[in-house]
Amino acid sequence: MKFIRKLFTEETAFIFSCPAFLWEFLFLYLPLTALAMYSFFVYSPVLQKFTFSIHYYLQVLDTLYFRAILNSLILASATAFVCFIIAYPVAFFLAMRITPKYRSFFLFTLILPSWTSLVIQIYAWFFLLEKEGFLSQILYTLGILPQSAHLLNNYFSIMVGMVSCFLPFMILPIYVTLDKMDPELLEASADLGANRTDTFKRVIFPLSLPGVYTGFLLVFIPVFGEFAIPSMLGGSTYVFWGSLIVDKFLRARDWPFGAALAIVGIMLIVLIILSFVMIGRLMTHLRTIKVVKNKN
Amino acid sequence: MRSIKIENISKAYDGELILENLSLEIPAGQFFALLGPSGCGKTSLLRLIAGLESVDSGKIYLGDQDITDQPIYERRINTVFQQYALFPHLTVFENVAYSLRIKGVKEASLREKVYDVIKMVRLNGLENKFPRSLSGGQQQRVALARAIVSEPEVLLLDEPLAALDLKLKEEMLIELIDLQDKLRTTFIYVTHDQFEALTVADKMAIMHTNGGIEQLGTPKQIYEFPVSRFVANFVGNTNIIEGTLKDSEGKKFVDVAGLGLFSVDAPVEKAWMVPSNNVYMSVRPEKIFISKKGRTEFSNHLEGIVTDIIYYGRSTQYNVRLKNEQRLMVFEQNEEHFPQESIDYYDKVNLYFQKENVVLLEY
Repeated sequence: MKFIRKLFTEETAFIFSCPAFLWEFLFLYLPLTALAMYSFFVYSPVLQKFTFSIHYYLQVLDTLYFRAILNSLILASATAFVCFIIAYPVAFFLAMRITPKYRSFFLFTLILPSWTSLVIQIYAWFFLLEKEGFLSQILYTLGILPQSAHLLNNYFSIMVGMVSCFLPFMILPIYVTLDKMDPELLEASADLGANRTDTFKRVIFPLSLPGVYTGFLLVFIPVFGEFAIPSMLGGSTYVFWGSLIVDKFLRARDWPFGAALAIVGIMLIVLIILSFVMIGRLMTHLRTIKVVKNKN
Repeated sequence: MRSIKIENISKAYDGELILENLSLEIPAGQFFALLGPSGCGKTSLLRLIAGLESVDSGKIYLGDQDITDQPIYERRINTVFQQYALFPHLTVFENVAYSLRIKGVKEASLREKVYDVIKMVRLNGLENKFPRSLSGGQQQRVALARAIVSEPEVLLLDEPLAALDLKLKEEMLIELIDLQDKLRTTFIYVTHDQFEALTVADKMAIMHTNGGIEQLGTPKQIYEFPVSRFVANFVGNTNIIEGTLKDSEGKKFVDVAGLGLFSVDAPVEKAWMVPSNNVYMSVRPEKIFISKKGRTEFSNHLEGIVTDIIYYGRSTQYNVRLKNEQRLMVFEQNEEHFPQESIDYYDKVNLYFQKENVVLLEY
């Protein structure tokens, strides 16, 4: 009784998080383990049993499949980069130039599109960009786009879809870091002789980096695994990691190979996140070292 | 080191006039304190001098140069902020080096200057620490070092010691005085704490709640000869006694209802010092002598009953109820372990003060 009472009073937080842990375990970690198992065992019809093998991993390293992973990496990096370029000025404008009174309105308009389903957003772009679409027709009529060119089914259309869907995930974290920045720091910087450019370079931007990191990860990870956008806006020109996995599981019914593909991709993402954290720490460390060197 | 001259400046926030036609001259190379109650506009004045905000009208001069429209980053005036405003992503060294890096000072000379200043404010060994790992006192020193490294003409200090405990505050005050002595930069120190202002200032200005300068002078002048009831009350403790001015054969007296006549002295004759006008007498509590015995060498005498005894260590405060029910505050130095005369609650005591120690104030 005493133990139960203790659990309910002191460990309330633990008890309330149990369902979530259970959920995560049953529907994330267990399937992941199953996935890993699938990827390591080959069923031999002759012996009628499973044998351990890294056969599928070697297959993943094959140029064709590895290219798909590489494609996803490049697409995710490019999307994150383009999002950053577009998002930073927006976040800066919102946090530094808009009076707090109107900020929630602007934030609302930014987030509003993400309330609609992703599929609907993509279809909207599809009908805008297709050959008979509104945008294409205008550009053809104005003569900006030659009749032979298409807006749809290329890298451009994929990027448009990706950026428009994931932009809020870059804007919001950057906005938050800029918004909570102590305005007195900017005053101190100006007071010490820094003009706006200097202050941005030396104070605002470095202090907003955590937001940029977060935004980068929030865009990079989902884009890396995204398969709906490339297949709907990109046609069949490019093969990406996500669409490849879908293909292997649902069409080719090659589950072990699909599993190996998934595991390699997940590992890559974990590696990228870790290196991000390491780079962040290293940068702090290097700043300190630089000063030590200065002293001698 | 240069002087600051403020000419008829006005400043309003959200339609509310904070400073109106204010003029003030702060001499070069001095430790100047701006003392005033919260909300009197002293911080606004400082922000205008720093260039953090612009004036609605009027002029600000640095020496003989008009800096009214000069942008903040071009003014050779630096500020020590109340909350320090240290850059959290930079080490102590880089915080201090900030203004020099902006100016593009060569690495070797930059290092030399930064280390000189770091040594001056006794931060040696903490160069590579980040601000968040420093104590309040250390952060205060970084803020100071960062502001003086580029050798500004004027250093503005906005309640710099408000966040420190009393002991540390006293230490830092002495260090600030020494630092100003060494640098000879014009220091403008804004505070609401009269103890800090009296301690550091060569010269000080008292600002009134309405945003005007009430009195300008040395700490001694202001403490001993306040020009108004506001100043007398705001700087130090005082007893204010209300009465009517009387003149008899060139000598001044104040007639207090229920207490009788008090002889007073007015070194400077003022227009309002007309017989039968109402006036205030201000007598500092430490200038009143308290005793149960009779004394004859004093020009003024009062009787009363002790109602409170507050022991401060170096001094004791007695609150004494007079015949007219007014209470007077008296400070007595605790010079001896065993005072000859011990005064207790409800003792009947005599209070004495000299007429030279009374300040006459306009009613």
